Amino acid sequence: MEGIGKVSQWVFHLGGMRIELNSATLLMTWLIMGLILVFTVLATRRREMVPGPWQHLSELLVGWIKDLCVDALGEQWGKRYYPLICALFIFLLLCNWIGIIPYMDEPTKDLNTTLGLGIMGFFIAHGTAIWVKGPKTYITEYFKPIFFLMPLNVVGELAKVVSISFRLFGNIMGGSIIIIVVSYLAYGLILPPFLYAFFGLFVGTIQAFVFTVLTLVYIAVQIR
Amino acid sequence: MDVTDWVKLAAFIGAGLSMGFGAIGSGAGEGIVGSKACEGMGRQPAVADELLRTMLVGQAVAESTGIYSLVVALLLLFRDFSVVRVIEVPAFLAAGLCMGLGAIGPGVGEGIVGGKACEAIARNPETSPVIVRTMLVGQAVAESTGIYALVVSLLLIFVI
Repeated sequence: MEGIGKVSQWVFHLGGMRIELNSATLLMTWLIMGLILVFTVLATRRREMVPGPWQHLSELLVGWIKDLCVDALGEQWGKRYYPLICALFIFLLLCNWIGIIPYMDEPTKDLNTTLGLGIMGFFIAHGTAIWVKGPKTYITEYFKPIFFLMPLNVVGELAKVVSISFRLFGNIMGGSIIIIVVSYLAYGLILPPFLYAFFGLFVGTIQAFVFTVLTLVYIAVQIR
Repeated sequence: MDVTDWVKLAAFIGAGLSMGFGAIGSGAGEGIVGSKACEGMGRQPAVADELLRTMLVGQAVAESTGIYSLVVALLLLFRDFSVVRVIEVPAFLAAGLCMGLGAIGPGVGEGIVGGKACEAIARNPETSPVIVRTMLVGQAVAESTGIYALVVSLLLIFVI
């Protein structure tokens, strides 16, 4: 039961400053980046008119996400943003799926990962808004419909970051805590693998898609 | 009773409140999704596979506030009680109550969204990809208040 709330850390002392790094999260994130790199090399090496299996898989995935982006953002901005959305989706998918392998931890179980991705989406959406509308229109939109609603609008924008990152974190961490407790109580071979399949594959896929689509929708709301 | 017993009492009551109230919303919401899916299958048997898939996805998302309640309850139940403070008594009670009551609204709301999505797919099967996407976004926004309840509960359990 000591698995609950346990964080493996590396601690450094650098010139009087104490630096803590979450080792499992870092290692797993680098592992997933390596996996994505391998997948990309397999998919783009030896491209042909009749695609091989890796090329076919990647074309399906990229084409589907490109359609999604063009639907939400329009032709011009959709083409500009779909590499980002595609990378985000593949990264989150592998992050949520890697927990089904024994002794592997999901990086999304750590709040630092999800909050980092949420803040990244926030800055991308608002940077795009300033780029498209210009700074003056962007700022005056906070004072609509009445000027004293400005604090409410600002809090509403910040709450989006909290809700999007805690949704992913809560679902993935909840799944892993339930698996730890059930494995401890049942000592079974049948129930835990079923739970891994439900929380890792099913909930993990849905939450990766929800996070990606919400990031896309936040960008689309700012552009329109 | 000394302080450890009081803290245990608070944690156990909090766990019960969290999961007990938290089950209301998710249960009702998943029921709404299931009933609408049955209705849709009766009207349009040709899209039964599509409806079943949408129903399962909608129910899985409507269940997430119930999962948050379970997580808060488990965190309270399997806590390390070797070092305790008096302030943890109200904090644990409040954490359970916050997550339990906070899970009711989002559960029902997400269920209504999922149910209407099933109904819409039965009425107009060609638009199902757009409907599923809109359903997921609508459910995600309806869930926000449940996530704020989870954040406050985790703060009460770990930070106080």
